[in-house]
Amino acid sequence: MAYVKLPEGVRDILPDECEKLDALEEVLRRKFTEAGFRFVRSAGLEYYDTYACIESTVEQTKMFKMTDKDGRLIVLRPDMSLACARIAATKLHEERAKLCYFTQVYDFSASGNSDREVMQAGVEVFGEDGALADAEAVAFAIECLRAAGLRRFIVDIGHVGFYKGLLEGSGLSEGGAEEIRGYINAKDAVNVEFALKKYGVSDKAQAAILALPSLFGGVEVLSEAEKLTDNALARASLSHLQKVYALLKEKGVSEYVSFDLGTVKSLSYYSGMVFTGLAEGVGSAVLSGGRYDGLCAQFGKDLPAVGFAMGLVRVLRALESKGGQA
Amino acid sequence: MLNVALAKGRLAESCADIFIKCGIRAEVLKEETRKLVLETPDKLFRFFFVKPADVPTYVEYGIADIGIVGKDTLLEAGADLYEMLDLRFEKCKLCVAGFPDAGEKLRGGHIRVATKYANTAKKLFSSRGEDAEIIKLNGSIELAPLTGLADVIFDIVQSGGTLRANGLVVLEEVFDISARLVANKVSLKTKASEILPLIAEMKKYVGEGR
Repeated sequence: MAYVKLPEGVRDILPDECEKLDALEEVLRRKFTEAGFRFVRSAGLEYYDTYACIESTVEQTKMFKMTDKDGRLIVLRPDMSLACARIAATKLHEERAKLCYFTQVYDFSASGNSDREVMQAGVEVFGEDGALADAEAVAFAIECLRAAGLRRFIVDIGHVGFYKGLLEGSGLSEGGAEEIRGYINAKDAVNVEFALKKYGVSDKAQAAILALPSLFGGVEVLSEAEKLTDNALARASLSHLQKVYALLKEKGVSEYVSFDLGTVKSLSYYSGMVFTGLAEGVGSAVLSGGRYDGLCAQFGKDLPAVGFAMGLVRVLRALESKGGQA
Repeated sequence: MLNVALAKGRLAESCADIFIKCGIRAEVLKEETRKLVLETPDKLFRFFFVKPADVPTYVEYGIADIGIVGKDTLLEAGADLYEMLDLRFEKCKLCVAGFPDAGEKLRGGHIRVATKYANTAKKLFSSRGEDAEIIKLNGSIELAPLTGLADVIFDIVQSGGTLRANGLVVLEEVFDISARLVANKVSLKTKASEILPLIAEMKKYVGEGR
């Protein structure tokens, strides 16, 4: 009876859970629509070449690949931000767009704490840049998580520009910088130090990069970080985050915000602020987002972009554990 | 309450000592018991005893907020978590070892490598572009070159006693290993007020364990 089983990493959703998911989607649908976002549904199949040619977080090993009738390689939708950027840049002939979606994305290599089929709800804002747009994205993420019923959660904010700035003049090769980025994301200070020595990075840059794994906490980490570097890009990134924080404070949501300059997401994809929603009771992020200004240009139209996606099953799991308690 | 995953055995004893020094009422860890879950009398900490290889799993899933485990196990598990502190005890090295003349084989051609750390070995040899056949074993790794199952082994070496007794030598020291304090990526932020003071306290006693 092997044919009644499902492949690894996917599952059926039965009526009880389906009702909960539908209720969650309903709440989010109202939120998204009220905030002026318009729904899109992207094609489930796309050309492999699209993802192979674009600088993105989607790695070759993460895609479900198939051969099309004409022999070309196609993939099962691996990422929705990319699909939205492709749509905004090539099909909507406007300078601004606010798109949102409910969709499944597929991750061939997922294992452990992740599924291979992930239900996401997300929003993408095209055509707006600056601290205000970033603060609005974070505030809206908080609003959505609250509307979903979560209470015990935080949105943890970082900025890839800070690390990029520290790299300038450090003499690190792209490969070395990428290796160290992996250690920083794991807060593995031992290997960060080891690698910095191995690549012969200058003392001043070493001290600043070595501090990255511990630069997390409240807004005070931004001023701590400022003392570590004179680099213009790094300092501009910090003052950008200060502005974002001030705006979030004005909006009355700063209690949900923390900072982590050691969350350095993909440097080739993200271009500025990045953020992650963390809820009590779930061991991994319920929401992930950031600014990716360079992406649309790769599809032929240069539009600044910021957005986030939340994992619906993880949000439900958080609601059912501690995250939903007051 | 902070949930802590500990590897059963010697590592757990070293951990108990360091926790008690930090003012945690971890005496429960010293008691002879078959219970798998132990709580401190003040209910501030709950300890799980698991196999070493399962510590990263419990922490990655967030069932345990923090855990203590050897770097060798972390390398092999490749779990998505934070490595907060090098506790500098349970020190050893991950080495390539074999008969003294096996060094020749390492410099070209196909080699057979016996190891418990199959993922780590695969990554290591492929990163060097070496053509290695990884043979996964679960214990008595030193037996593999003696019986002709493998050319070399990739394993942790503490004193080197077993190697010497069997005529084997360390051909290359690859990684320095010691016990690490790991934290779940969400817990570190949502339970920062519990985890960070503990880490700061533990830092003071780093290296004093066995």
